[in-house]
Amino acid sequence: MLFEIENLKKIYGNNSVKTPALQGVSFKISSGEFVSIMGPSGSGKSTLMHIMCFLDRPTYGQCKFEDKSIDDFNDDELARVRNKKMGFVFQSYNLLSRTNVFDNVKLPLIYTGFSKEKENELVEQALKSVGIFHRAFHFPNQLSGGEQQKTAIARAIVNHPSVIFADEPTGNLDSKSGQQIMDIFQKLNDQGHTIILVTHEKYTAEMAKRIISLKDGKILSDELVSLRHYAKDGLIK
Amino acid sequence: MKLSNSFQTALVGLKTNKTRSFLTILGIVIGISSVILMMSLGDGAQGLILKQIMSMGPNNVYVEPGSFDLEGADMTQAMMEGMDIKTLTLDDMDAIEKDPLVESVAPMVLNVARVVYKNNDKKVTVFGTSPAYAEITGGRTILGSNFNDFDVQSMAKVAVLGYKINEDFFQNENPIGKTIRIKDVNFKVIGVMEEQGSQMFLNVDDYVYIPITTVQKFLLGINHIQSSAVKIVSQDKIDEAMESIRLILRERHNIYNPEGDLSKDDFKVVSAKESADMMNIVTGILTMLLSSVAAIALLVGGIGIMNIMLVSVVERTREIGLRKAVGARKKDILYQFLIEAIVLTGLGGIIGILLGIVFAYLAAIVLSMALGTQWSFVVSLKSIVLAFGVAAGIGIVFGIYPARKAAELSPIEALRYE
Repeated sequence: MLFEIENLKKIYGNNSVKTPALQGVSFKISSGEFVSIMGPSGSGKSTLMHIMCFLDRPTYGQCKFEDKSIDDFNDDELARVRNKKMGFVFQSYNLLSRTNVFDNVKLPLIYTGFSKEKENELVEQALKSVGIFHRAFHFPNQLSGGEQQKTAIARAIVNHPSVIFADEPTGNLDSKSGQQIMDIFQKLNDQGHTIILVTHEKYTAEMAKRIISLKDGKILSDELVSLRHYAKDGLIK
Repeated sequence: MKLSNSFQTALVGLKTNKTRSFLTILGIVIGISSVILMMSLGDGAQGLILKQIMSMGPNNVYVEPGSFDLEGADMTQAMMEGMDIKTLTLDDMDAIEKDPLVESVAPMVLNVARVVYKNNDKKVTVFGTSPAYAEITGGRTILGSNFNDFDVQSMAKVAVLGYKINEDFFQNENPIGKTIRIKDVNFKVIGVMEEQGSQMFLNVDDYVYIPITTVQKFLLGINHIQSSAVKIVSQDKIDEAMESIRLILRERHNIYNPEGDLSKDDFKVVSAKESADMMNIVTGILTMLLSSVAAIALLVGGIGIMNIMLVSVVERTREIGLRKAVGARKKDILYQFLIEAIVLTGLGGIIGILLGIVFAYLAAIVLSMALGTQWSFVVSLKSIVLAFGVAAGIGIVFGIYPARKAAELSPIEALRYE
């Protein structure tokens, strides 16, 4: 099992003012799934994602990734797990603005410790698989939003992680670019990548295979998508 | 992450902010170059003093009237005493000269007098001494000859002109055999000295040399001498010779001083090395003072670095968050910012050192021209190593705080930061 989440609770704040963000969440995700975590803002979906990608610790409960919980690692080991096994795509791309596409994609690799040749090979592969290789030596401000997000996806997959986290990846994009991005995610999933997508748009969420809906820190529903949308189709129209 | 990668990341960070990096460096450049300049000036001054003092020969000791009292070291008192005490005489010098450790003795009397030749007249330092003086200092005549021992014994009214005095009074004329008047006494010019520059900070080219006995009798009407240079047979015998001279003079002056208390004597014996050491202490203090002012500039530069690094950490909060999310350890972030600070100060250090050397070189040229003497351009390895070490140290000291701040940032909050 890739993820095992059991009775997860997260409470922010100090002793006097407590703000619960997650109030007992349990589910499992196995390898190769494409899961949307859905819910309105304040539902706790970002908090859940942060805990799942080991950036944050739960107040109660367990979150196991590949049978290990956050407590089994020290900070350096956590960084290593994030580096080698997880990829991240953010709503606002988070590219380094004065660094070109190639070096942006290479960023995770400098913390991995491959040889120069291996690094370049992996970057090239990642750029080609999202179709942005022709822009390799452009800077982010010379790219469209869609191209920037493709760069960010290339960065997320450059190290061949076992899971990709995408936090509102289409939130800042027009619908056509959004479709392209979602198409890439669906293809990556077809290739075997596990993808965890955080979104509040129902239509985008339904491009995944399974939707976990949150509300007020609790799971509202957890079901497979019966009528899955394919981004590819949207593009043809 | 490999250290070379940290280095590269840091360099890219600096290159993307060229103007800011340059301005940040400027503080360090100014600090380091002033430290180098000040230390070079100090070393130059020390070299100059040493050269001046040693210019009369490293084997020399000086015997002067007045006691050697370091505790009550009041300069004016010592000078008054020196002028007042009349017990040091030519006979004392003869007695010293008989000591086997002494090679030769040049007694000295100085006097300022009006010198007249034809329509020309000028106030000149008249220097009464013996032929041994030229021997000790290695001064040679370029015209005519120096006076000899017989001239001294017979109180001959002869004069040897310093190089510049000859130029002032005689221009193209041959001075040998001409008569000049000093304090209404006629002197025959028998020689001209070569150009010597300054010795002991005195411009000896402006002197007129006259047998000491003649000055004592006809110009000053005194029997004592004001100073004397004593050449010792070899450098390693100097201490021994100084003690020997003291014993001779104590006996001749009837001073009972078995414990060798120098303040009880009515004379002092000082070696060229001792006076050089004393001057070195003074210039050393001066160098330290000047360098500490420069060091303050360096400190301000360091604070500037810290300031900029702190701004940079805030500005790059999202970048730090991203780096942490994709697998940077605390250490990696710490190194990145620390190396950035060290590269800044190191670069500033190198530029500062080069600039300091250029300034020191220019200062040496200007000072040489202003002082009319060769000011030596010295930049010691010590000062370069020190300056560079301090620069790198400042990088670490003032870089560690911002770097730690960056490393401690929570990635979630950093990613949310707008």
